[in-house]
Amino acid sequence: MNLKHLLFAGGALLGTTAAQAGGFQLTLAGQKNNGMGGVGTGLALDQAAMFYNPGALAMVRERGVQIGVNATLARQAFRAQYGGAERQLDNTVSTPFNFYAGFGPAEGKWKAGIGVYTPFGSRLDYADNWEGRTALTSIDLKSIFVQPTVSYAVTDQLSIGAGLVVFASGSVNLQRDIQDPAQGSIELDGSSDTKLGWNAGVFFKPSDKFSLGISHRSKMDAVVTGGDVIINGVVSSLADRFAARKFDVTLPLPATTTIGFGVMPTEKLTLGFDVNYATWSRYQELVFNFDAPINGQTVSRSRREYQDALTFRLGGQYQVTDGLTVRLGGAYDQTPVKDGFVTPETPDNDRLTATAGVSYKFGERFGIDVSAQYVNIAKRSQTQEDLLNNGVANDRVAGTYKTIAVVPGFGLNYNF
Amino acid sequence: MYTFLKKGAPALALLGLALGSCQPELDEPKASAGSADFSRYIAVGNSLTAGFQDNGLYREGQLNSYPALLAQQFRRVGGGEFTQPLFTEAQANGSGYLRLAGFTAQGAPITAQVAGNAGRNASAPASPPYTKYLEPINNLGVPGIRMSDITTAGYGSTQGNPFFERITPDNTPTQTYLQRISASNPTFFTFWLGNNDVLGYATAGGAANSITARTTFTNNANSAIDALTANGAKGVVALIPDVANIPFFTTVGPTFRTTLAQANVPTAAPFVYTTGILAPGQPNTRVTNNTIANIRDASGNGNLLLTLTASPYLSLYGRPSGKYWRDFYQQARPSLPPTVPNLTVFLLALQVDTTKAFGQSTENPFPSTLVLDGTEQTNVRTATTNFNADLTTKANQKDLAIFDANSFFNGVATGGFATNGQVNSASFISGNLFSLDGVHPTPRGYAVVANEMIRVINQKYGSSIPFVDASAYRGVRIP
Repeated sequence: MNLKHLLFAGGALLGTTAAQAGGFQLTLAGQKNNGMGGVGTGLALDQAAMFYNPGALAMVRERGVQIGVNATLARQAFRAQYGGAERQLDNTVSTPFNFYAGFGPAEGKWKAGIGVYTPFGSRLDYADNWEGRTALTSIDLKSIFVQPTVSYAVTDQLSIGAGLVVFASGSVNLQRDIQDPAQGSIELDGSSDTKLGWNAGVFFKPSDKFSLGISHRSKMDAVVTGGDVIINGVVSSLADRFAARKFDVTLPLPATTTIGFGVMPTEKLTLGFDVNYATWSRYQELVFNFDAPINGQTVSRSRREYQDALTFRLGGQYQVTDGLTVRLGGAYDQTPVKDGFVTPETPDNDRLTATAGVSYKFGERFGIDVSAQYVNIAKRSQTQEDLLNNGVANDRVAGTYKTIAVVPGFGLNYNF
Repeated sequence: MYTFLKKGAPALALLGLALGSCQPELDEPKASAGSADFSRYIAVGNSLTAGFQDNGLYREGQLNSYPALLAQQFRRVGGGEFTQPLFTEAQANGSGYLRLAGFTAQGAPITAQVAGNAGRNASAPASPPYTKYLEPINNLGVPGIRMSDITTAGYGSTQGNPFFERITPDNTPTQTYLQRISASNPTFFTFWLGNNDVLGYATAGGAANSITARTTFTNNANSAIDALTANGAKGVVALIPDVANIPFFTTVGPTFRTTLAQANVPTAAPFVYTTGILAPGQPNTRVTNNTIANIRDASGNGNLLLTLTASPYLSLYGRPSGKYWRDFYQQARPSLPPTVPNLTVFLLALQVDTTKAFGQSTENPFPSTLVLDGTEQTNVRTATTNFNADLTTKANQKDLAIFDANSFFNGVATGGFATNGQVNSASFISGNLFSLDGVHPTPRGYAVVANEMIRVINQKYGSSIPFVDASAYRGVRIP
């Protein structure tokens, strides 16, 4: 098989698969970590430590640059409680990516670096005329974070680090059909303001066989100010009731705290275990403010009432030859979405993830990382009675969601 | 590099294959008939059962009738063919109906009549008698029929109800509705009769069409249910909703109050109306102790309900106007006695002076036909409660499912009713559930009714009939 075939295989993936990402938090920040169930806080694997635990960066021996890209391909089935046929998502793909460059003296105590990654995102296109169309027909959330980072090895065993997290670029595009009898559709399209946050971590490696780390990433808000409201197809006699042209929205992003452990029984085998706690309870409601009334309302409120959630990750890598390393891992991810509160933009539930990866080094400096994740989101049902009991039947649909995602990824790294 | 590609590419291709097969599937929930047999479903009822909407019976409404939707769902669990007396495509406008033509600058709806085209006399296509439909049918809904009419011989003649006449065989012109349903031999039925026994009184503002006597109502209802269950058929008995909650009575009053408030008319201004039957020779009693504040506003304060048909006359409040009385005279003229030969005598007989302020003076009162006052509402509510109690007793005696349309529509009136995330309510036009006549549901309203019936059928008979997607059915069509 040659390059042409590879491109063909890749093209087939892009052309035939849909995209959806976990909740809207992505943990695809490093290609090696992706193959190991997403562990990393208790390890010093490579430059992606800037994301997983900036405290570990000083312990990463190499300096270098690395880039990775993933294709999030999701397949979903939905069956409404009040309705007939099974609905499937239209096929789309989103491409979370990451880039890191790490610098510093080869034997010095300092390391510095810059990371660029996409920690939050989601893309879903529902089938035409699906039952929940007035809740959502499509969503495309993107975010790009840039993080200058410094790390300092206090001793040979203990290092600390911190990064300035810049929410550099983000966008939201959300579309839904307008409630009857007005008909038509509404599209909200905007870019987020630049926001600042931080992350910091401590890494401790008391022996060759054991390491441990803790890291924290601050909460942030994704804020869109003056996004565009585009309204189409409202019946003409009601069109003047839909006068809004601009919107503001704030999407709260959780703070996350992670504790990670690393175990190295032999030189060739590394095992990692991470527990992550995300303060999703910040996300209580989604409020859009409009510059003019939409059917009599200048504010649209939708209850979310997320709860804080834990994620457990386990992974390992084994160096087979000088060049070849293989990885396996898995994760269990608690959903932040309560029963009877599921909305179409995050048709979420607890998820089980299995991962695999392989790296190959071509000489001392250049390497390639391939990873794959299989994400199984548990089936999630809610009935109309659940929605009515929670008082949220007016903006979401009763039924059953089932989502499976496959996330292949590919990375290059160069050390100097 | 090349070596890597050689090794990696098949892996990626494999991943693509895996992905192709990872589409999750959600099995269709198992549908079953439970202990019921839907092979021959017969729908018994009035306009609601016929699919009447927008003040008319026409093909689109028939196609979206709740019995048609039920039959469609029953087919998933062994239901048989279900035939309705559909108007043909060529006569699709049926009896004629209202359409929404637009809104006034104040936002009030403007309706227009779509002429009927199902008349069987070529010279009068918009009028009864209608082209006959004599094939065997399963939907026996007859618009306008009251429980008190079901034993009336000749109700299916040209002197009777044109919609029953339309489906009555030529060789049995005197067949009563009770006889017709007794011969229908269902395995399963829905029974929703009795609305008109209170509705006619209510929509005429208590001025005409007296409420059916309880004994008549109950005897006839019991006979009908006995006949339908004679061969062991199972079914649903639907109760009668309280008509005071429908847009026909809840729309105009609040709008009127808002208009008056904007015009700085004090709420203490008098509101004089007549009560009882309005006709020459009747007492035509004036009620003079009410003010504008007694008309129910948007917040539910005030007890007087104004009918949707009052809408054209409200702007004349407080002005010398004879418009209502002229319209009323034109309508009443064919049945007036020779002693009332013209409008002047007619007005004298009603003690009306059209030079006085309309609705404010005892000489030019607001007509009882357009007002449902507290006493009349109590009459309506008492009758509804009594009828529903007797229907419930009978249904329980026959171990039938009961659709409590009264509590259901009360719930809709207070809290709305979401269907798949779409917000619906009992509001006129914007609520999606009630058609332009303010009384009969839209296709979406009928779909909601079908779902509620499915719910009680599933509960009663242990069946699992799937619901319909009510949001896929339209509300009021807005231009």
